Amino acid sequence: MQALQIIKYGEIKDSLAFSEISPPSVQANDVLIEVKAAAINPIDKSIILGNLQGMLPIPLPSTSAYDVSGTVIDKGIDVSNFEIGDLVYSRVPQEQMGTLAELVAVTSHAVSKKPGNISFEEAAGLPLVGLTALQSLEYAGIKENDKVLIHAGSGGVGSFAIQYAKAKGAYVYTTTSTSNVEWVKELGADRVIDYKTEDYKAIVKDADIVFDTLGKNHTTEAFTVVKKGGIVVSVVGPLDDESAKMFGIADYKLPTELSKLVREKEAAYKFIFMHPNGSHLGEIKALVEDDKIRPIIDKVYPFSESTEAFNHLASGRAKGKIVVKIS
Amino acid sequence: MEDLINKIKGSIILSSKAEEYVVSIATEKSVSKGDVLIRQGQAVKNTYFVQDGCLRAYCIDKNGKEHTLQFAIKNWWISDFMAIYNKERSTLTIECLTDSNVIEFNTEKLDGIYSIFPEFEAFQRKNLERHVVSLHKRILNQLQLTAPERYDFFLKQYPDIEQYTPNYHIASYLGITQQSLSRIRVENARK
Repeated sequence: MQALQIIKYGEIKDSLAFSEISPPSVQANDVLIEVKAAAINPIDKSIILGNLQGMLPIPLPSTSAYDVSGTVIDKGIDVSNFEIGDLVYSRVPQEQMGTLAELVAVTSHAVSKKPGNISFEEAAGLPLVGLTALQSLEYAGIKENDKVLIHAGSGGVGSFAIQYAKAKGAYVYTTTSTSNVEWVKELGADRVIDYKTEDYKAIVKDADIVFDTLGKNHTTEAFTVVKKGGIVVSVVGPLDDESAKMFGIADYKLPTELSKLVREKEAAYKFIFMHPNGSHLGEIKALVEDDKIRPIIDKVYPFSESTEAFNHLASGRAKGKIVVKIS
Repeated sequence: MEDLINKIKGSIILSSKAEEYVVSIATEKSVSKGDVLIRQGQAVKNTYFVQDGCLRAYCIDKNGKEHTLQFAIKNWWISDFMAIYNKERSTLTIECLTDSNVIEFNTEKLDGIYSIFPEFEAFQRKNLERHVVSLHKRILNQLQLTAPERYDFFLKQYPDIEQYTPNYHIASYLGITQQSLSRIRVENARK
């Protein structure tokens, strides 16, 4: 089968190549998906560049990408919740990475039926950003009338998080640049802050939850806008003690400045590492079918132009997901 | 089973032998919400009579989107009749929208009944006439009526269905977007 593989770490143009490889073997808990569409994410680019070699080592060559939608064409003997012919979507686990291929085998626990009211291309763009946003805001205990600040509202995770938070009945602040203000408003955010002309720190006060998707100074600044006893969840900031333990880092200590801020505000800080989860994708399916969340696609590329899709991702100019149509 | 027998008796004179035969080839089944009775692309072996609950027939286009053809509620028949007639694989998926009770008929056994009890030809003809009229009406509604008018007609045809049907099924049945359906509902609420 055809697959787009990472053949070495480095620049996109030098590191990706189409290869003819053997179809994946189907384990007892796996479903074999005939891939209709795959979506690419910043993490895929970071892996190609070699920036994540320490944290997520992969054998080379490896097929790229994690997000997928398609049709179940085979299943392992222990799979009872899917049938041949089911239309599904997934963010595949690390060890099954490789959705830019004609077929991918995925543990059924990481798979859900896709929303019936959207296309394969739209569905492929949802899993990674959707799981990241859902798991972050769910950990934060989001509920009706919470005041939530979501950074980078026009990003993949941010645009999903705004819609998810609105579906939960929260009041949503979000930051974005001038050119994105209008379409971010259309996602439902209550107060869109143009960071080029406004200071979000002067606008957001006593937020119940800050969802940090930017890191660096935004992680520490979150504690100036979060309420006493609130929570800051981050997908890019420093690890917290528990996450560090999960990654096997001994004697980890939260950076001193952050630790001080947490204490002063009597707030919680949590680093969220997205994990594949079919049940969570089932929740997202229901929200999409109920029109509470709409997928946002920037561009769909044919499989043969996958490298161009990565170049577009690297440009950082996409408003919405970049999807590759496989079949 | 009683509803079905009464329905048959409403169309033809049913002898006790014929009634016994119908019962012998019928299988009463309790099915759960989400169960799939017929799957697109597979052979169609059965026809279903709904005793209670709600089923949906839909097709999936090449982009993976669902399009709802029909809902079946109490006393309706549902199957992929086109596939049965043409002896082809199913173009439709039929799923249960609620926990339902259905009577399942194997299509071959159902066909066999006409040679043994010819009076069933009349019953079947009337069913098919009703089915054709219903499809005819559905096509004309799509061609002639506005979206709010189609929605009104839909609510009369399927009273209470909104309680257990996701909006996107209704929108796809009417051939409109979910946003349009929401707008129509808001307009209706203002009336």
